[in-house]
Amino acid sequence: MTAASAGVVVFMVAVAFVLGFRAKTRLDEAALRQLAVNEGDRSAEAVIAANGKAALARLASGKLMVVRVMGADVSARLVAASAARLRLKRDKLSVTFADTGYPPLHMRLSEAPPWVAALAAGEAK
Amino acid sequence: MTAPVMPVAPTYGAHEAPFDVSLIITFAVPAFVLLILLEMIITKVTKKGRYEVTDSATSLSMGLGNRIFGILFGAFAVGAYFWVYEYRLFDLGWTLPVLVACFFAEDLAYYWFHRVAHERRWFWASHVVHHSSQHYNLTTALRQTWTGTLGLSFIFWLPLVYIGFPPLMVLMFSAFSLVYQFWIHTELIDRMGPFEWVMNTPSHHRVHHAINPNYLDANYAGVLIIWDRMFGTFIPERKEEPPRYGIVSQLGTFNPFRVAFHEWIGIWRDVTHAKNAREVLGYMFGPPGWSPDGSRKTSASLKAEWAARQQSSAVPAE
Repeated sequence: MTAASAGVVVFMVAVAFVLGFRAKTRLDEAALRQLAVNEGDRSAEAVIAANGKAALARLASGKLMVVRVMGADVSARLVAASAARLRLKRDKLSVTFADTGYPPLHMRLSEAPPWVAALAAGEAK
Repeated sequence: MTAPVMPVAPTYGAHEAPFDVSLIITFAVPAFVLLILLEMIITKVTKKGRYEVTDSATSLSMGLGNRIFGILFGAFAVGAYFWVYEYRLFDLGWTLPVLVACFFAEDLAYYWFHRVAHERRWFWASHVVHHSSQHYNLTTALRQTWTGTLGLSFIFWLPLVYIGFPPLMVLMFSAFSLVYQFWIHTELIDRMGPFEWVMNTPSHHRVHHAINPNYLDANYAGVLIIWDRMFGTFIPERKEEPPRYGIVSQLGTFNPFRVAFHEWIGIWRDVTHAKNAREVLGYMFGPPGWSPDGSRKTSASLKAEWAARQQSSAVPAE
């Protein structure tokens, strides 16, 4: 019964795939600004992953906004800077969160701006 | 000769029903599949509504997991129904008036379950799964919790069997409610006229799934929207404000295991870091987003912030 149900799930996902429901969004500065406004804040500085699938922004309020592309959608979450731990290794930025239910963010940067480096060094929190 | 006997309604024991109640879901599943495929095709052709393959895969996986957890743990809830039924106040039996009363009672129980599931973090930890998609289509209806029984969600229906409604009758109307609520998870159906006065509809339920601040904490109905109208939680959908879906703190993952357990992990983390019993209780049974210092956002604080923004933007500049 369960195996048959799993088969039906696979079939329906295949139909969705064939019908082309797999649009990919790329993040840009304008999208980040709008997301910050939606959260009742303002984007001060932002860094976008080289592949455009993730971004980290520092907002005017001092909070961090973590943004991920979720297929055709964008998922944004605000966290206090003190509730995020940044690690910068050459061009790779990893962010883990005090909220362990929230997935870590990994992104490759073309260039790490100074404010990201400062946060990763434990400054400016 | 004996006197003719008036036909009477057959009586059923506590473990009997006129038909196998589990068949309701069994027969509904093929219809669910067909309707999802139909909705996908209509979405593709008309460009109305939205689908995303990974999101749908996650929703359907959650539905499958819900069935597996139901098989593993469902007997615990059913056992609780039958245990409480042993202490029932009345012997109601399977008669038409009782069926009608049970329909309304079950729907009212669902309303309060659903409302508490949004207002108290313990129950939200299970129910959040259903709201974690940023899409609103028929696959979202199947994005169901794995931890509902373990989280004791079934306690909201125990008063019904304590009154004396047969457990299988309560389960039957719960199954009907579940089936009814499937079709309202769609963006393809607009407002439905007078039907909306009494019944829960796609429009009403879109508002329930929306994260727009002024749509939060509304329309908890299962089948009948009358409960929201009675208890002051009804908010109509407004054309000028299209719903945005998901949860206030978007989950940011399609991983079914993280979807299923993230809020429980959050409760565990908070409780183990709590400084006193008040904090433990607040983290477990306070509103989702509760924190001792008020630094996190609850629905109430989000709505208050939104109202303040609305008010300040309405004040004409001097």
